Amino acid sequence: MKKGAGRLTLDALFTAAALTIFVIELQIPSIGIPGVKLGLANIVTVTAAFLIGPWDAGAILLCRIVLGGVFSGQIMALWYSLAGGTLCWLIMLPLRRILTEKQIWVMSVLGAAAHNIGQILVALAVTRTAAILYYLPVLMVSGILAGLFTGIAAQFAVLRLRPVMKKHFLR
Amino acid sequence: MIKTKTWVLILGALLLTALLSCLILYTRPAPGTVANIYRDGVPVRSVDLSLVTEPWEFTLSDERGANVIRVEPGRIAVIDADCPDRICVEAGWLSDSASPIVCLPHRLVIRIEKNAAAEGDPVPDTVSR
Repeated sequence: MKKGAGRLTLDALFTAAALTIFVIELQIPSIGIPGVKLGLANIVTVTAAFLIGPWDAGAILLCRIVLGGVFSGQIMALWYSLAGGTLCWLIMLPLRRILTEKQIWVMSVLGAAAHNIGQILVALAVTRTAAILYYLPVLMVSGILAGLFTGIAAQFAVLRLRPVMKKHFLR
Repeated sequence: MIKTKTWVLILGALLLTALLSCLILYTRPAPGTVANIYRDGVPVRSVDLSLVTEPWEFTLSDERGANVIRVEPGRIAVIDADCPDRICVEAGWLSDSASPIVCLPHRLVIRIEKNAAAEGDPVPDTVSR
């Protein structure tokens, strides 16, 4: 991986893309269960993990979450996303090594599930009520399905972008 | 490397488990008739829904905001709230399900349980009626 300004520019580009997708997704009305969403910005995180590297993907994810929290103005949502994002990234690290190019979608599915578990943990800490666990299966179902969708999108993106990246960025 | 088929099986099993848990959790009947209202995990109010004969409302508020709760014979709901998402209001009526109504911004949880968790009489008092 190229070092210095080129890599920083690439990370910034991915962050901008992720943030744009995140802000657009904010306009999609919620279906009434907190935490249930498509998580389209996850496409960028997974793509970055495979195209640039897991550390860059982590940095992009962190910047997107913090800036997304500022843009959406929901500071409490920031904590849920931070916990979810951290768990998602932690599961990405080992997966990055064992997944092939045709299994990129798996990272997205497991990442989404980990993200939802992180959110539930924060909600548990915040309400101090075990009743919150009622949401876990619902979030798991929605996370797996949404993760499958964003994962397939990410896999397409990686396979299409790889030749372009090799030509222009990764020398 | 793990085969793609194996991943499909693992994730499929995970999805199936989650779906089954949803089915079990949301069809499970409430263990009793007492609606316990918790704030920050601490019971603040209990209402025995089987003893309610006519509808009444009360407001629970603190520095985070207010939730207007309506009680009718056998059921309870948050009918108004000043939280940003109003998910607790959209959740509708809770009558005989073990699943809770949650207002995350106000850290409020309503569950139907066997016994009253809050201190005092679980029957609606005359003042708030």
